[in-house]
Amino acid sequence: MDAFEAIKATFFQECDELLADLEAKLLVLESGQTDSETINAVFRAVHSVKGGAGAFGLEALVRFAHVFETLLDELRAGRKPCDEITVRTLLRASDVLADHVAAAQGHAPEVDEARSAGLVAELETLTHGEGGAPVVEEEDDFGFTPLTIGLPSLDLPSLDLPSLDLPSLAAAPATGWRIVFRPHGRMYANANETGLLLRELGRLGPVTVSLDDSAVPSLEELIAEENELVWTIELAAAVDEVAVRDVFDFVESDCDLSIQPLGAGPADDLPALPDLGLPSLEAPAEAFDLSALLAAAQEPAIVKAVAPAPVEPTPVAAPAPAPVQAQAAPAQAAPTAPTAPAPATIRVDLDRVDRLINVVGELVIQQAMLAQRVAESGLTRSSGVLMGLEDLELLTREIQDSVMAIRAQPVKSVFQRMPRLVREVADMTGKRVRLVTAGEDTEVDKTVVERLAEPITHMLRNAIDHGLETPDERLAAGKAAEGAVRLAALHRSGRIVIEISDDGKGINRERVRGIAVSRGLIAEDAVLTDEEVDNLIFLPGFSTAETITDVSGRGVGMDVVKRSIQALGGRISISSVPGKGSTFTLSLPLTLAVLDGMVVGAAEQTLVAPLSNIVESLTPRAQDIHYVGGRDAVIRFREAFVPLVDVAQTMGFRDEPVTPGQGVALVVETESGQRAALMVDAIQGQRQVVIKSLETNYQQVPGVAAATILGDGRVALILDVDAIVANARRRPAAPELKLAS
Amino acid sequence: MTVLALASVLDIRAAEPLQTSLMALRGQAVTLDASQVERLGGLCLQVLVSAQRTWAADGQSLTLAPDSAAFSEQWTAFGAAPLAEALGEPA
Repeated sequence: MDAFEAIKATFFQECDELLADLEAKLLVLESGQTDSETINAVFRAVHSVKGGAGAFGLEALVRFAHVFETLLDELRAGRKPCDEITVRTLLRASDVLADHVAAAQGHAPEVDEARSAGLVAELETLTHGEGGAPVVEEEDDFGFTPLTIGLPSLDLPSLDLPSLDLPSLAAAPATGWRIVFRPHGRMYANANETGLLLRELGRLGPVTVSLDDSAVPSLEELIAEENELVWTIELAAAVDEVAVRDVFDFVESDCDLSIQPLGAGPADDLPALPDLGLPSLEAPAEAFDLSALLAAAQEPAIVKAVAPAPVEPTPVAAPAPAPVQAQAAPAQAAPTAPTAPAPATIRVDLDRVDRLINVVGELVIQQAMLAQRVAESGLTRSSGVLMGLEDLELLTREIQDSVMAIRAQPVKSVFQRMPRLVREVADMTGKRVRLVTAGEDTEVDKTVVERLAEPITHMLRNAIDHGLETPDERLAAGKAAEGAVRLAALHRSGRIVIEISDDGKGINRERVRGIAVSRGLIAEDAVLTDEEVDNLIFLPGFSTAETITDVSGRGVGMDVVKRSIQALGGRISISSVPGKGSTFTLSLPLTLAVLDGMVVGAAEQTLVAPLSNIVESLTPRAQDIHYVGGRDAVIRFREAFVPLVDVAQTMGFRDEPVTPGQGVALVVETESGQRAALMVDAIQGQRQVVIKSLETNYQQVPGVAAATILGDGRVALILDVDAIVANARRRPAAPELKLAS
Repeated sequence: MTVLALASVLDIRAAEPLQTSLMALRGQAVTLDASQVERLGGLCLQVLVSAQRTWAADGQSLTLAPDSAAFSEQWTAFGAAPLAEALGEPA
């Protein structure tokens, strides 16, 4: 990837963040909190997207963003109300803006022009009112072509208005700004350009630019890449200081900057100057943010984390004008918005993190191997070596946890995409839907987060399309016309649980059963519990929609969802109450990299049972074991009987179960809350193991979740407890899971 | 009179070459041909301001001909003194 492409990629990364932020802020507005800070944040997000897009010549994106931004500008100036209709339009506009970004990125087909044009018209109507002539800025040129600013018309004698004696304005808010700007050479090196910044300022209102070139030395003393020029810009517009500061957002650490309100001086009267004939200064400013973005793309870490550098001494230069230096520091340290300081962050290639995780995984294995070797060498427990090893183990664990934390991300990034989906599906189905989300900050490994989007999308579609009733049906059933879909994330016993629930009609079990029978998925006389009927929808080829709809009937059934969840080491379960709604529960491991496990032996094999499944372990006596129907073993456990599953037998390691009275039983709990006792020969210990995917290296094996490498270098299989229990329950006499003969 | 044709893009990368080219013409009357200029950046502006000052100190003429609209517009947008004064014949 060349440098330009790399910068562009960074721009799109930032777009993703900006769009997510945009939607989040719009949802805040939708909830009724229409404070100016939020509206400003929305404006900044769209503005930043537009600025970067202009730099890369993404015209369609820029044009759309421009119309979007124009309405936002009206809102933040308080000229238009931020009412419900407007916010809804803004939300849809943010969807189309995201489409434009995706199309520009090449991740999506061309944007639906009709939809985009329709929204442009809506935005313009909101901006200018019904029938108002939209100001089409034909002169807008979003590329890097030269300025065509008709500067002769910039002859602004009217800016010198000493005769306008307006003392009463002293108490009024600043109606203009005096900006003193001295770029450092570094600013140019970072691909920023003073000319572009001046144009950007010109976009905020009429400007008078004066140049102090007194410090420029003769040609032979000049250092071409250092700057000695100082600009003073008087901006005669009653804009927010934030807006002015935003212009310099990306260069603030590369310049001396002072932004002072114009005092009670003559310029105070200038807000009334829109008729000054200065529209030409509002020429293409889009390129500005581009350069700023370029700088940010090149050195994001420095831009974000490093304090502004002091003024660089330049050997040839006369000192810069004193006020600049004196005011630079306070100017940079005084943001007007009462926002909390963002924690310093750096962007790191995921590859690097993954490499680190892999190496730490190897470290864990090596540490385990070393510990085993030392243990085998017969050293006493009190020996210094063993004690040192224990410390090493703690340290290793800490390193591993820290590395994992780097990869942990809140599920927010996935949840944030869902409001749009819900809006669209609701529109297509004619249903009214309210999406409630909870637990967006729940963290989970990045790989898991990324792979959550698709199943959640599919299940939300299903919930709205199949679960919720139409408003009329709901009213007839005595419910509110608006259906609710809830998307929640939470941590539960070392796993992340995602719940998608709706308050719709619930699963029609009669119909599900009928379909399953008609498709030959179950026998006509099969006796199934409610739960088993509900689970029929996960069978391949099952679709309850009588007609394939645009929404969820895309040839992807719940079986695909289930498989993708299982591929992540997760499970999906369903509970449904007719007339009340359904809940789908996904349970996934927090990470796909390590696992706390119980290492056990069964028929000469070493296996790992995930600790999160294990409730208790015990050594059953022969009399504790009973047989149901003379065949199915159960064990008495805390005043209840739980099925006894012989792991070695189920896995096909041996034909006969472990002799009653020998072996150890691990009482496990499955995702659906069922309990069972897994019989193994012995417990070897408890340790954290590094998960090596069996699928990647071999293929999926029923009953086996993954594999790991033990301290002695041997491969051990990690048990898929749920699959083993389910399999043993279903066909106790004919084990399906047969790994060895 | 020597004519120095200015590059079309006078950005940071052009600043040092422009300075070098001008230094090589030091001591003689020079005409700058800005007809091809599309973009004028702050650092090249500084080189030209410095050249104008240097030529004036040398008592030589540094003139501009022909001009391009983009050049003069951007020059003015920088708030620099009007071209006629800045790069005209020394008094």
